[in-house]
Amino acid sequence: MTVIAGIGYALIALGPSLSLFVSVVSKKPFLILTVLSSTLLWLISLIVLSGVWRAFLPLKTTAWWPYAILIIMSIAFQEGLRLLFWKAYKYVEGRLEDILDAFADKVSKPRLFLTDKMQIALAGGLGHGVAHAVFFCLSLLTPAFGRATFFVDRCSQLPFFLISALIALAFVTIHTFSMVIAFNGYAEGNKVDQIFVPVVHMVAGMVTLINLASGGCVIGIPLLYFLAMLTLMHCGKMVWRRLTETRSRQSGS
Amino acid sequence: MDSNLIYLLLFFVAQLHLPLHAEGDTRSLESVPDLERSMYMIVDGYPCVRLLNLSGEIGCSNPGREKVVAPIVRFKNVNVLAQSSAVLVSLDEIQSFFTRLSNDSKFAKNVAGVLIESGSESQMKLKGFSPVEKFPQAEFAPYRSIHYEWNPIGSSIMWKSYNFPIFLLSQSGTMTLQEVASKNENNKKSYTADVAEFDLVMQTTKSGTHDSESCLKEGTCLPLGGYRGSVWSSLPPINVSSDQSKPVILTVASMDSASFFRDKSFGADSPISGLISLMAAVDALSHLDGFNDLSKQLVFLVFTGEAWGYLGSRRFLLELDLHSEFVKGIDSTLIEMVVEIGSVGKVFNEGVKTFFAHVAGVSSVANETLNALQQAKDSLKSENIMISTANSSNPGIPPSSLMSFLRKNSSTSGIVLEDFDATFANQFYQSHLDDLSNVNSSAIVAAASLVARTLYILASDDKDLSSSALSAINVNASLVEALLGCLLTCDPGLSCELVKNYIAPRTNCPSNYVGVLLEEPSATPYPGYVSDVSRFIWNFLADRTSISKENSASACPKDCRNEGEACIGAELDGKGVCVISTTRYVPAYSTRLMVDESGMWKVMGLKSSDSMEDPVWTESNWDALGLRVYTVQNGAYDRLVLLGGLAVTLLAYLAILVSRAFIIKVLKQD
Repeated sequence: MTVIAGIGYALIALGPSLSLFVSVVSKKPFLILTVLSSTLLWLISLIVLSGVWRAFLPLKTTAWWPYAILIIMSIAFQEGLRLLFWKAYKYVEGRLEDILDAFADKVSKPRLFLTDKMQIALAGGLGHGVAHAVFFCLSLLTPAFGRATFFVDRCSQLPFFLISALIALAFVTIHTFSMVIAFNGYAEGNKVDQIFVPVVHMVAGMVTLINLASGGCVIGIPLLYFLAMLTLMHCGKMVWRRLTETRSRQSGS
Repeated sequence: MDSNLIYLLLFFVAQLHLPLHAEGDTRSLESVPDLERSMYMIVDGYPCVRLLNLSGEIGCSNPGREKVVAPIVRFKNVNVLAQSSAVLVSLDEIQSFFTRLSNDSKFAKNVAGVLIESGSESQMKLKGFSPVEKFPQAEFAPYRSIHYEWNPIGSSIMWKSYNFPIFLLSQSGTMTLQEVASKNENNKKSYTADVAEFDLVMQTTKSGTHDSESCLKEGTCLPLGGYRGSVWSSLPPINVSSDQSKPVILTVASMDSASFFRDKSFGADSPISGLISLMAAVDALSHLDGFNDLSKQLVFLVFTGEAWGYLGSRRFLLELDLHSEFVKGIDSTLIEMVVEIGSVGKVFNEGVKTFFAHVAGVSSVANETLNALQQAKDSLKSENIMISTANSSNPGIPPSSLMSFLRKNSSTSGIVLEDFDATFANQFYQSHLDDLSNVNSSAIVAAASLVARTLYILASDDKDLSSSALSAINVNASLVEALLGCLLTCDPGLSCELVKNYIAPRTNCPSNYVGVLLEEPSATPYPGYVSDVSRFIWNFLADRTSISKENSASACPKDCRNEGEACIGAELDGKGVCVISTTRYVPAYSTRLMVDESGMWKVMGLKSSDSMEDPVWTESNWDALGLRVYTVQNGAYDRLVLLGGLAVTLLAYLAILVSRAFIIKVLKQD
């Protein structure tokens, strides 16, 4: 497949993340730190999960439900970790405001604007997405730079590496924008947002089981992209609502 | 709006009637190296390598330094090759393929590599196949009719030079490649193809040395030969201190074969059937006593390298002239008679085993031998054996080691025992198909019995030999069966009990190809450089022709250094037995080669004593030889993927810019 195709697959999986990083994150050092630590955190979570499951692998079974248990457990663990991530963020945010207060004259407006908070959430989500892409797609991509290609029997329409990159792209999108929705949900106490994120994550995980069926990826991958679009749209709606609220609050005060 | 979307999603999921259990594909990949291994399939194959002589080269090689990669097509399914391809040829098509290759240059230009199938069904369809010439090694014949066709089925395809790789596939490799070729033919996707990757890079091609002299000078090739190749043994052991004046009867066979594919040349009928006959005859004679009282000395000689310019026999004759230590105990002037056992595995003719004696030198000695043969045959009444003298319309003796003796001294008396008269009975002469199924064990037993009794008759020189004396000489048929299994199969092959009693073999599959000389011949050989078969024959002959020492078996090889002693089974950790035996190795390499001061092989000038030019066969050096098969995407698809990745990245960037501008606009509206 050669180097060209290898770079192509890597770009499909991580290109949008790269664009996001270059256009938004790279301008603010705090966001770069957030992305890096988030990536590290979520990579560690995946490694811990694979460490725990190592004892049970390889799953020598033709049934699908052991994989379902694996996915449910892993996603539950990650969602729990997301809550912890939120708590860590609140702690840092509090400390940051204290430090800034101590060094400056009293000012009336809050240190962190809403858009800043959203950007931090976006950076956190980007870290989560990049960790997923690295773990599930990039780690398998080395053979793609060689001469041969590979087709899986159960999905022989597309090369294996392309399927892997496409699925990774869908998940990157889901994770990146889920974090924005989730942080907003915790901050506002909005139950819908708080439930939306774990549910979408769980559904997306279970949808990948469809790929186990022969020819299932024809349905599985479009479904994943449907979920990604759903996440994007929900996030967009939420951001619009919050920004217009803030604006009207400001103009109203 | 959200709830509508959720209903839509549920609707979708409900539509799925697909079975959600994993399908039967049990191949589970557990790591990235696993993934790579399943992407690149390594195929078992036997390569054809580059061989050179003084005037040029033969055999196969990759055209440059790189591996050759080409899509696989079947020869029977293509008329014209549209692109550079790897052609899969089945056994019965070999002849037509090579004919097409030499006649059709447009076809030949697009042949990037060749894969030849093996298989028992196609083998049965094939009447015969012999890649050598119609008169093999005619330039060494002691007579002028070099256009006589001893091997009419010979196609000479082995003696051409090919600048692409050719591999013979094993059984498993054949099945794999047939599946892959079908996959290629049924492939609906135009952007993938299954290709074969050939690694047959030859150093002489890389360095541009295209004949023996230049490649030996550059060090890119090695000369063919058996390091401790040829073996001779005397029955009874020669007492060097006493005067040697008994006339010597030389019994000769050879142990090497050649084939188009370097590692698959069993040479069952030609010449291993003769070798096994010789070994069984020695075994039969070893049970007798009183050899010291016989009027003649029996010496058994097994040559290697005979398929490549009679390296063994010609070097042996040279060493005899030089009175070197390798041939200590044989006086060339005392050699009275040469009895050569050629191909003897195919003698059946309506239930009667007919052997043919090809005679050289019309003399009383030759007649005496023929009479002895008849006498031996008569004593074997129950075996249904016939002996005939070869047809007088033959130009002379068939290709055999005796030719070297005759070229040296045209008055040598000799007889070559064969299973054919005017043309070879072996339809697979020097091909990879001359295997166990091509010989008959009872024919070999018959030949061995004939030879053993004939030798005894000749050696005792007694006209009134009693039939009881002769009937005591019996060939062990189970020994012949065991030898067939050891020397002509891969299972048990060289790990059979008979061989393991003497040596520690390095491989299972006997390859009867002479191989290359890794070091210059010197007094003490490094056992790693001597071939398994040579070592086995040495030990076997030493054991059979031995007299045990007075003080019982002393530890070997430590206490076995006296003159006339030999250590049998020296490799078997402490189980070696020291016996009295005259069994020696003789090097087998070109008479025109020597090692100069810097340790490099050098081709010497033609000496006036050499009646003909020795071709000086060498084999190119190579690194690793292999064959892989994998699927490949075409370049256009790769570029499409890259384009897709770039497009996705750029679109995302644009979308982000648009969103950011929008958000700023929203915020600024107040």
